[in-house]
Amino acid sequence: MKRDETVAIAIPTGVLTSGALELLTKSGLTRLSAEELGRRLLVDQTGVRVILVRPADVPAYVDHGAADLGIVGKDILWETPGSHYELVDLRFGDCRLVLAVPSASRLNGPETWPPMLRIATKYPRTTSAWFEARGQAVEVVRLHGSVELAPQVGLVDGIVDLTATGRTLRENRLRIAAELGASTARLIANQASLKTRTEAVQSVVSRLRKAAGLDR
Amino acid sequence: MTPQLGGVPGFRDLLPLEAEILREAQESLLAEMRRWGYRHVITPLVENMDVLDLGLGVEQRRRLFKFADGRGDMVALVGERTVPVARLVAGKLRGAALPLRLCYAGPVLSTDEGRFQQRRETYQVGAELVGASGPVADAEVIALAARCMEATGIRRYQIDVGHAEFFHGIMDAVRLPDEVKAGVRAALAARDFVALESLLEGTPLKSAEHELLLRFPALRGGREILDAAGGLVRNRRSEVALAELAQVRDLLVSHGIGDVVNLDLGAIRDFDYYTGVIFEGYGPDFGRPVAQGGRYDALLARFGRPAPATGFMIQLDLVSEMLTRAPRPPALKPVDAALAWTAPGLNTALRLGSTLRLFGMRAVVDTQTRTRSEANAWWHAIGAANLVYCRSDADVSWSSEGRRTRNLPPEQVAARLAGGGD
Repeated sequence: MKRDETVAIAIPTGVLTSGALELLTKSGLTRLSAEELGRRLLVDQTGVRVILVRPADVPAYVDHGAADLGIVGKDILWETPGSHYELVDLRFGDCRLVLAVPSASRLNGPETWPPMLRIATKYPRTTSAWFEARGQAVEVVRLHGSVELAPQVGLVDGIVDLTATGRTLRENRLRIAAELGASTARLIANQASLKTRTEAVQSVVSRLRKAAGLDR
Repeated sequence: MTPQLGGVPGFRDLLPLEAEILREAQESLLAEMRRWGYRHVITPLVENMDVLDLGLGVEQRRRLFKFADGRGDMVALVGERTVPVARLVAGKLRGAALPLRLCYAGPVLSTDEGRFQQRRETYQVGAELVGASGPVADAEVIALAARCMEATGIRRYQIDVGHAEFFHGIMDAVRLPDEVKAGVRAALAARDFVALESLLEGTPLKSAEHELLLRFPALRGGREILDAAGGLVRNRRSEVALAELAQVRDLLVSHGIGDVVNLDLGAIRDFDYYTGVIFEGYGPDFGRPVAQGGRYDALLARFGRPAPATGFMIQLDLVSEMLTRAPRPPALKPVDAALAWTAPGLNTALRLGSTLRLFGMRAVVDTQTRTRSEANAWWHAIGAANLVYCRSDADVSWSSEGRRTRNLPPEQVAARLAGGGD
């Protein structure tokens, strides 16, 4: 059972782990190495519990109240909107969600799109919504990894994927045709935690805000 | 082809334990409402779309199960039960004097699989106080909601009270272009404070209302939060709201629930629907509100009988889930007595069963003759507290968990079982 004064924070595996842990250290809440957290997955310390979960699972942990707070990329929030509060732009983990096509492809701006586009992505919801808003019909192929491969073997016309430096795209002879959105790490909060344990949760929120370089 | 034994996705079967907890919670809620003078009404599961259109927002309408009935009318399965009650008050109850106190219980349906547990059918119990305005009525409904949560057996809970007009006043007063205001509303509805901050940062004029909007999720606390907010607002609408909240809070102290009430000026709700005091009830360590309600003075007028109104509903599924998960789930009595028999003892078993039920006990008489060992297996299979094995009127044995089996005359078995003694 969670103790009343302990605030549980969900941290995502992958590229945001180190930034999130750095922020926790800077805020003085807890000092944890990625290695230790990776081994234990759940670390209880005075006043704070840190849990390590897959990025796409962070909103679920927070929405269900298993974690009071979560650190998660905006890209995940686009894909799984929920009942949480999105409180702070933590200003790390910058990346872009882009439409990428093979370098040799004729596809570029909307005027070059065929009546039906086939797109492979790990972000089916965001992808459909973005194209639908532009009046473009898409057939979304949901993949779970190595999305870059799909256009090279003729499965799809292009992909919608996250990129920070564009290197993986270049290595796979893909180029960016459009940007769907820019993402950074966000701090999200469970709606009930903010209300039932205001003091404990708000104090952690303001320490994280400060650590992220936001004055207020 | 195998029939889909799991049922339709999004619709749940409730097995005996869950169903019993849910029913007991529903009965305690309705009983508490009755103690406050709220009369029970039952409205149908199906409503005409014309009626629902009057009361529901676009999103709510989109989520309805709609179909044409035999006469070509568009109808829908209800997604909430306040609008049907409003229809009743303006229609069949138009002769009834206001204020009216009504309560209801029943399932509501949604085509969307909710994000939690993929449920499309949930259960709501609610109360409506129609025809009364002002803080006394607001406080009555909030106190009733609190007592209802208690009545179900939820031990730790809290009620957050806010005011829709506080927000409306701020939005009136804040100097922003209309499209930015629309963005602010959308960001708040999505609880996205990152978007809200960037919207407000981009505007040159900074007013006290700006600051209030940015601090929305933190505008919570006791009486002192009203003074703090009062020092910041410069508009009449918000000031009136704060004064009303102060009165409601004092009344709730008189109702005896001052210690579970928090003021929440940043409560984010459907502001197109609510017109005054709003509130939410939270249970312990549960990620979302189990009770929601507030004042909706505009609804009844749409049905041709203008009247102020306030009310709330409790999510019955969440209550029973909370009770099931509690460290000590409510003790539900198993079957009290399992009555097994061999042919010469059947009459005795049936008579004994009737007697025990007269005393309010749960007694199950077997449907087939059994040997002693078969009877024992059956006893444990149905989870009864006692086994009474009748071989004839003169040969009745009584077994109870952890005790030795005794042979007693049937009337003595009945007397001891019903007396609760050994």
